[in-house]
Amino acid sequence: MKGIKKSRILFLFVAMLLIAFTVACSNDEDAGGDADSDSDGNDTGSSEDGGISGDLELQYFVGGYGDSWWKEVIAGFKEEYPDVNVIEHAGPNINEEMRSRWVSNDPPDVVYIDGAGSSEAQMVEDGQLMNLSDWLQDIELENGDKLVDSFIVEPANYDGDVYTLPLVFDTWGTWYDRALFEDKGFEVPTDFESLMSSMEEIKESEGIDPFVTSGQHPYYFLRGALYPAFGAAGGEELLTSVIKGEEGAWTSEPVLEVMKRVERMADEGMFDSGLGALNHTQSQMNFLLHDNAFIPVGFWLPNEMANDIPDGFEFGFIPSPMQAPDETFAIVPDLRPLAIAENAENPEAAKAFVEFAFTRDYAMSFSEHTGAIMNLTEVDLSQSDEVPVYLTEANAMINDPDQVQIYNKPHPMSSDLETPVGNALMSLMLGNASAEEFVEAAEKAAAEYRSSNE
Amino acid sequence: MVQSKKQKYLFLAFCLIPTFIMFAIFTLYPLFSGLYYSFFDWSGSSQNKEFVGLANYIKLVKDAIIPNTIIHDYFLVATKVIGIMVLALFFAVALTQLKIKEAPFYRIVFFFPNIMSVVVIGILWTFIYNPNLGLVNSGLEFIGLESWAKPWLGDEDWALPSLVLPSVWAGIGLFMLLLMGGISNVSKSYYEAAELDGASEWQQFWKVTLPLIWPQVKISILYIVITTLNGSFIIVQVMTGGGPNNSTHVMGSYLYQQAFVQYNFGYGATIGVMILILSLLTVLILQFFMRRDKVEY
Repeated sequence: MKGIKKSRILFLFVAMLLIAFTVACSNDEDAGGDADSDSDGNDTGSSEDGGISGDLELQYFVGGYGDSWWKEVIAGFKEEYPDVNVIEHAGPNINEEMRSRWVSNDPPDVVYIDGAGSSEAQMVEDGQLMNLSDWLQDIELENGDKLVDSFIVEPANYDGDVYTLPLVFDTWGTWYDRALFEDKGFEVPTDFESLMSSMEEIKESEGIDPFVTSGQHPYYFLRGALYPAFGAAGGEELLTSVIKGEEGAWTSEPVLEVMKRVERMADEGMFDSGLGALNHTQSQMNFLLHDNAFIPVGFWLPNEMANDIPDGFEFGFIPSPMQAPDETFAIVPDLRPLAIAENAENPEAAKAFVEFAFTRDYAMSFSEHTGAIMNLTEVDLSQSDEVPVYLTEANAMINDPDQVQIYNKPHPMSSDLETPVGNALMSLMLGNASAEEFVEAAEKAAAEYRSSNE
Repeated sequence: MVQSKKQKYLFLAFCLIPTFIMFAIFTLYPLFSGLYYSFFDWSGSSQNKEFVGLANYIKLVKDAIIPNTIIHDYFLVATKVIGIMVLALFFAVALTQLKIKEAPFYRIVFFFPNIMSVVVIGILWTFIYNPNLGLVNSGLEFIGLESWAKPWLGDEDWALPSLVLPSVWAGIGLFMLLLMGGISNVSKSYYEAAELDGASEWQQFWKVTLPLIWPQVKISILYIVITTLNGSFIIVQVMTGGGPNNSTHVMGSYLYQQAFVQYNFGYGATIGVMILILSLLTVLILQFFMRRDKVEY
């Protein structure tokens, strides 16, 4: 008897395990179906009186700009729409953390596309973002100006359609310590030749390798120093053909000429000899510690390194001086957009939030919080004392076409092209390849990229 | 009490089914889904997948970076096996045979890196190799060898060899303990007999210790090979990210780059299949070469 009883318990236990296994491995189509349907009324996005309500899921990357601006906007939004429950998904790794939600077709409603692990082009290609072309025409700013006419840089254009609204206007340029330069009488460069003479002077008097960038991520130098040089040398046409990897673009004469300048910098020992191993933060730290004098990065630098800035350090920003003496300074804006998921569960609230964030008041507060610029025109930064000096100066410079030419890229370069080009670039910067070898390698990478897209 | 047949089978089922279920969920399912995804063009971040047949495998064969990643992996395998086995054996013999008073202390010291996360070890050694502040370059300068100082991890030729040292350092402890266990099981009488026959310590090591702990040595080597082929990814990713210019990419880190940085998840899965096949082949070949009859005296 006892034996039979025992075996029954065993059998029961095994059966339970099997059931648990079946349940755990069953397809969660049911769950997905529930999430997609709005029939239960909780997620419809509009309450009985026609207002906006329900849950609003917001995904935003927190990097160099911090999250204080987002907190302010979200608090303001909650005040305006008390029936909406805002659920924030934020942090430096949020793109990775939310990836499974996107893959399983259960995305957040609004997404700010920025930081590692995110790719606007890939999201559009995968059909994950809502087409905003028609809706954009109706959005107005607080004074009645149409949003579509008030962007500094137009939204990215995907075969005539708009899927993302550029929120942050960042631009890469070259940073230096203004206090050090004034103290030692170093020349602030205005073109490539003066950059070389300035670096020579610094090398001699300070005994340092003057130029640093992140070698683990060679795209910093590509976007921060080479894009502007390509723009200055061949305008948006050259920039576009290089980013798209068109045939012959990388081996063209103007590109080779720019790359010869990089080769010269490597030959004359201007690059930090250890840059090959440096990541993003290490390279910025080297710059702050005066191990180097120049670094090409975006507007996020002062905010990101706020806790590590030595006393007396004063940020100075110039468009990257990689252009020939007869060309003007060039900058290539880098935009971080806001978008709505194609499968947003609460599209009404999502639209309300996007519309709410795009105002000139918030643009001003964005510059105060982050030290960067929001992508809206007619925001007078000089009126605020809290906006850092480098930013008002840079803003004035960017808006003066005699000093600086703006060249827009068609869209970000695909990482399938950027990665191999970056690797070849690394070899060039370390002095292991010539400019000619680099352009050949880049042209080959572009050919492979084109064939992979066919 | 004699068990009935039914009871026996029930007991076997009780032992095997839960294990099999776990094995199926955590090993078979990922294995086959990896194989499945390798036939698709998939970004890994959406539901859009396109069946492309063997296209990813053709790309794999044509990819010029792949042969280098394989060479880098086997370079790490070879250097780690030699480095770890020589040092672990040396320490194990020293700590068991030489009757050092502080043996327990050294055992803890050598085992210490094993309880540290590989990520922490990677970051630690990144600082040690730092060209300006690092211990290695300052040490070289201190003993008057400035000309040898270099940006270790930033140099296309030196970055990969530089990864060997932290990997060996992190690996010694575990295998040292394993071998110590083996050595302490060898009966003292063999050594006494060998000594009476006039064998030197060196001869005792080669003729007595090594043959008798060969099973442990074999397991250690296989384990190092497998963990290196599957796990060298971590140290590469933390210390160099595969750079500069792909000079330290191993198969695992290249898989990661393709799948999660360049959004070619399908191609990443294909690289995963290649890693599986190569690991299996390597282990089979090693098993063949290391087979020895069990020695008993």
